[in-house]
Amino acid sequence: MVDRRSVLKAGAASVAGALVGMPTVLSAAPADSPRPLHAAVFVRRFRQGAAFAEEMQRRNVAIFSAGNDIAQLWYSDLAGGLNPHNAPIAGLTDRVTLFCLEELARSAGMRVLYRVDHFVNEHGNVEHNAVGPASVVEATGKLTSTSAFGREMAVLACRFEYRELRDTSALKHTGPFCPGNKVVLVSWMIA
Amino acid sequence: MVLPPNVSEADFNAALNEFRSAVGANWVFTSDEDVALYRDSYSIYWGEPEERVASAAVAPSKVDEVQQVVRTANKYRIPLYPISTGRNLTYGGSAPTMRGSVVLDLKRMNRILEVDEKRAFALVEPGVSYFDLYNYIRERNLKVMLDVPDPGWGSPVGNSLDHGAGYTSAHFRDHFGSHCGMEVVTPEGDLVRTGMGALPNSETWQEFRYGAGPYIDGLFTQSNFGVVTKMGFWLMPMPENYLYGTITVPRYQDLEPLIQEVSYFEDLGLLGMPSYGSPLGGGLMGPPAPALTELMQNGWPTADALENFVASQKRPAWSVELNFYGPEETVRANWQAAKRRFAKAIPGAAFQDGELLALPIPKEKEATQGDKPRLGIPALEVFTIATRNPINNADPPDGHADFFAYVPRKASAVWAAARVMYETYREMGVPPMHHPFSTPINYYSRCFIVATLVPTYRNAAKNAKSRELFGKVMDRCAEHGFGCYRTSPAFQDRLMSKYSFNNNALLRFHQKIKDSIDPNGVISPGRYGIWPAKMRGNRG
Repeated sequence: MVDRRSVLKAGAASVAGALVGMPTVLSAAPADSPRPLHAAVFVRRFRQGAAFAEEMQRRNVAIFSAGNDIAQLWYSDLAGGLNPHNAPIAGLTDRVTLFCLEELARSAGMRVLYRVDHFVNEHGNVEHNAVGPASVVEATGKLTSTSAFGREMAVLACRFEYRELRDTSALKHTGPFCPGNKVVLVSWMIA
Repeated sequence: MVLPPNVSEADFNAALNEFRSAVGANWVFTSDEDVALYRDSYSIYWGEPEERVASAAVAPSKVDEVQQVVRTANKYRIPLYPISTGRNLTYGGSAPTMRGSVVLDLKRMNRILEVDEKRAFALVEPGVSYFDLYNYIRERNLKVMLDVPDPGWGSPVGNSLDHGAGYTSAHFRDHFGSHCGMEVVTPEGDLVRTGMGALPNSETWQEFRYGAGPYIDGLFTQSNFGVVTKMGFWLMPMPENYLYGTITVPRYQDLEPLIQEVSYFEDLGLLGMPSYGSPLGGGLMGPPAPALTELMQNGWPTADALENFVASQKRPAWSVELNFYGPEETVRANWQAAKRRFAKAIPGAAFQDGELLALPIPKEKEATQGDKPRLGIPALEVFTIATRNPINNADPPDGHADFFAYVPRKASAVWAAARVMYETYREMGVPPMHHPFSTPINYYSRCFIVATLVPTYRNAAKNAKSRELFGKVMDRCAEHGFGCYRTSPAFQDRLMSKYSFNNNALLRFHQKIKDSIDPNGVISPGRYGIWPAKMRGNRG
């Protein structure tokens, strides 16, 4: 479930301080993962999605807006010959986008490594629920209900050490649905 | 690791090694994180001992590799579960029928072998998805149109073999009905081509489906009699235009003549799939509209009460959208003919002209085009539409188990089926989804579907209730002769027990075939109730 490398990374994040507030702990954390992201997918209609995309772009990661139909994005930009080595893809999207991408990714031998569900209530307060390696759970646990989590999740994705992780807890964690009285965004990585 | 039943770890490992020799070590998956990818996202047994999980997966890329895998499976008695893309959610997805089976994942067999636009057919391998085939056709500007299911991420082979359906004309939306010719690896590793494919040098494999002698293709649908490795499909020549129009009728009882008139055009082959609706209902799968809920406070209303209700609402009782494909002259003429006949048959019928679209839809307009499946464009938008569930708004499910009851193509049967489902839900203490304005789905042109979606969860207690509800709906519908045509592995034994004419002669016949052609029972044990003799016991 949790390997030594992820525990060490969680420890480093803890020592460095809280994730919330700017400048973030992640700016003091290890450098970006040596294997770059192939792409970042975001939902434009949410402010945090846009912030996620902006940070990704700043880090020279190709960004793609998820529309109503994720399939064409998968076939045209994310998979197959355009990503022959299955480089990781990160996202901050709605649940349905992740659900579809997770199913499509199976055919490419890719899987969800972690996911953080962000439940936004009617007052705009956010509850974060992370599933996956301890490093992600721990780092995300320091987000507050008012954190600018879009940028934080982009930084986390870029610095996530994804190789050799055996954790399966994030796989198929929910269906595409979300509670009717909340917006649910989800940060994730597929590789 | 889960092991197949009655297989020792030593034999299992020996089989895995032979699989590796056959397909390459990179294409045999045994780690927990790889095998977990094959779990069924919509499983109604999620996380329970009865969840159908795989022991491993193997992904061949060629027919001879499939044959080698099948022969090894026979040698060590390893159950295999073939999938094409494995995305038939609500019907089991990529998970096997029997726990511990090895998924035979055909995703690498994704070659589009031929698309002949002049003769309007395609020949594909099982790993080809509708998206793959669509993109192939568009990139080459071929003048043929697909009929696609919704969602469109499945494979033409897998969808057809599971009796999936689409949205265009009846000739094409019955996906198995529009196939022509297949190639099958038998359970003992032989290779068979059906129809004209059995005749060396024939060029009509995808044009004449019967060949000579018994027609066996149907044996490979919803079954475990072989591994289909190629399949041909008839395609619709690209129509010049698509036209739709909507008809509304004023009275509750008008549904009967409305269906008769629609069926007239349908059976002449002039329509795409008609879409029935009711302005008074509340949507296809949703709860009844508030005014209707009030009317139903004391149960199912009488016919008079329903007619009075319709009159009080000052809206039409029913609607149907008709779809036409073809040259502009003919689609406009057919719509005009429909107006004439419906106006004569149903006093008060009203008509709303729809848009005429030139086909194919230009590439740059595809993304924003609505109702893509009707235009032969595969899509996943259905998930976006379905993510809000009015019945489970605060406590959303993680998936659903679909129960599609096949009922006669007449209004009285639609109402009877809706009432059976309504009363079953009430009996179970679950808010009913059905009501007197529930409308049929017309995937198969000669028969109606009355559908219900039972929620599934990542929660065992909730799933137990859902299983009870689903089973009860199946039982009640069967008592009325309403048969479900397709279900998840969790209910396949129960479903097949309903097809019980003459002491389950149909299932007994299937079992005899199974015993004869798959004596070791290696292909999909238990699929649609067909268990190998050694596992049969008291099942079914």
